Amino acid sequence: MADNGRKADTVTLTIDGHEVTVPKGTSLLHAAETLGTEVPHYCYHPGLTAPAQCRICLVEVEGAPKLQPSCVTMAENGQVVHTDSPAAKRMRQGVLEFYLVNHPLDCPICDMSGECMLQDYVFEEGREKGRGREPKRVFGRDDFGGDVLFYGDRCVMCTRCVRFMDEVARDPRLTVVERGSRAVIDTFFDRGLEGASFAGNVVDICPVGALVSKDFLHKARAWDLDRTPSVCPNCSQGCNIELHTRDNLVQRLKPRENREVNGHWMCDYGRANYEWMNRPGRLEEPAAGRGAKRCVADWRSALEHLFVKLREGAEVKAVGSASASNEALAALAAVAGAAGEVSARVFRSPRAADEVPLPGFPLLVRRRDLASNVDGAGLLGFERTGDDRANGGLEDVAGHDGALLVLGDELTDQNEDFGAAASLYVYLGTFDSPAARNADFVLPVTTFAEEEGSFVNAQGRVQRYRQGLQAPGSARPAWLVLGALAAALADGGVPESAGDVFAELVAAHPAFAGLAWDGLGDRGAALRTEAVHG
Amino acid sequence: MAISVKVMRRPEAGRTSYMRATLKGMSLTFKHLVRPTKVTLEYPEEQPDLHPRWRGTHRMEVHADGRPKCVACGLCPTVCPANCIRLVGGEDDQGNRYPIVYEIDEFRCIFCGMCQEVCPVEAIHVGRHFENAEYTRDRFVYDLDRLMEQDHPTTLLWDPSDPRSE
Repeated sequence: MADNGRKADTVTLTIDGHEVTVPKGTSLLHAAETLGTEVPHYCYHPGLTAPAQCRICLVEVEGAPKLQPSCVTMAENGQVVHTDSPAAKRMRQGVLEFYLVNHPLDCPICDMSGECMLQDYVFEEGREKGRGREPKRVFGRDDFGGDVLFYGDRCVMCTRCVRFMDEVARDPRLTVVERGSRAVIDTFFDRGLEGASFAGNVVDICPVGALVSKDFLHKARAWDLDRTPSVCPNCSQGCNIELHTRDNLVQRLKPRENREVNGHWMCDYGRANYEWMNRPGRLEEPAAGRGAKRCVADWRSALEHLFVKLREGAEVKAVGSASASNEALAALAAVAGAAGEVSARVFRSPRAADEVPLPGFPLLVRRRDLASNVDGAGLLGFERTGDDRANGGLEDVAGHDGALLVLGDELTDQNEDFGAAASLYVYLGTFDSPAARNADFVLPVTTFAEEEGSFVNAQGRVQRYRQGLQAPGSARPAWLVLGALAAALADGGVPESAGDVFAELVAAHPAFAGLAWDGLGDRGAALRTEAVHG
Repeated sequence: MAISVKVMRRPEAGRTSYMRATLKGMSLTFKHLVRPTKVTLEYPEEQPDLHPRWRGTHRMEVHADGRPKCVACGLCPTVCPANCIRLVGGEDDQGNRYPIVYEIDEFRCIFCGMCQEVCPVEAIHVGRHFENAEYTRDRFVYDLDRLMEQDHPTTLLWDPSDPRSE
């Protein structure tokens, strides 16, 4: 049964009666995972080294004198492993009982409740009732600085946070002080986590409620949140994230694993920047007419009038946005191209002074570009203008006397004269702006959280994001509005999904050649390298 | 199937005496006059004796210092089948988690008592109480202060001498 004819770099073993073949160097914990068996674990995290100190992942290996920690025991040929044998179960129950000796069991007021690994494992395998009669030791809570709050009583001493700061952030600011039951995680003297750029990740990797986010404290229960796979819109790294939403508001952002982009991590800048997705006072209904003559219209009549105006033909200048999806920008380019001769396609985007790298995971860098789709906009023919604060650069456009299309740029630095001379001025945005006063058509569009679409990140990777919020009023995704107009101008079919627009984009832009919407999945797909650097 | 018609067979007029039935009825009436069987209750002078597991409108237990016992754990809005509880948690100045907003829409409530059953700190209770009349509909959304003011007895889903059913 061993390795008859199999390649030497794999090993075959039996776990819980099932034979499984895994690459050499795979831990028993991972091998069991391929069979769909989760071995409980605290100190082990796929992004960190394994110290095998939590002792909850012990499994029975036939022939071994004692139970083996599955996170550091490597799979070997012919091994027979039992993750659920009476001995392993008894051991886990005992370990869990020790964890609960000093655990306050304050699940009702703990923010981790509902996604806590201690809660899950005790519920599954722990004793029904505690036997402890002694008083529990009490630490109270400690402010670790930054966004992190520490509840020492809840800690299971897995040291994931210490190892993260040590190995991944390479900024060792946390440590274990004292020994035995007095052991506790602490910062060094008065220097906490404030100013650290990736410290928020310790909250994510904490398996219990010991490290919690101050921002999220008491805000929502874990089971109330809807989780939508998305892409972080706050810089051009495009970390894979989950939008956690409740009551149609984004409550927090959490990283989603993607080893090609962000590993298991995300930066604190991106994590903290979500309130703008909940900003009230949005544009909700389409409107037509300049200045005082503006009146609310319905989508059909607004688009029909706009279609007639676009057909008149004029020199077109288009202002895109580096926060808009590839689909919206491609549709904007298509509408501009069909309406007349395009003399400018520009976008403005803020840039930070420097990059913030994560030393332990070099792929992840908080990029200088603080908008999600700078690279996509570049590939789709838009040129950067303006300064590093996304101001200025629109002098040509402001006084343009042809057709003017603005998508997603709020024009906060422009005055009321913007577009006054334009023969046609279309403003597609999420918020009204003084500079939209002269717009012939003001069309409400959705933010990235309210639509489907894709971004190109700084690595040249096309990544899809999904809809997590309901759009206000009758706001529509920009790809739908512009895609319908482009289809009407070109006598084509109206797109029914972001995927339809993406297919047209792939056909029209060779940089995206070979990509398919369904092939992007939740992890994205890389553009061909010559397209990125060409 | 055809509709069947039942024909009532009545005694012919003039051939039957109603005297016997009348006397029977009158005798019952006189019996009540002498030895009455009382089924009505002179409410509100007399109050009904509610069943110990009667489930009426809610009340919130308070600590000795007047704080609500609720810790805003969110289990009651989660378990509520009628979705009538609105809860926003927060932290008070002593660092205790407490409900900033706690509202129960008593119109929407179906008085199942699951909120009381699920509460880990014995804070919310349904009451042995039925006099809920109000002049306006909006008064039926009980906020935290209102719930804390209620002083009617609580339902014995919960035994005060053995609060954790041990």
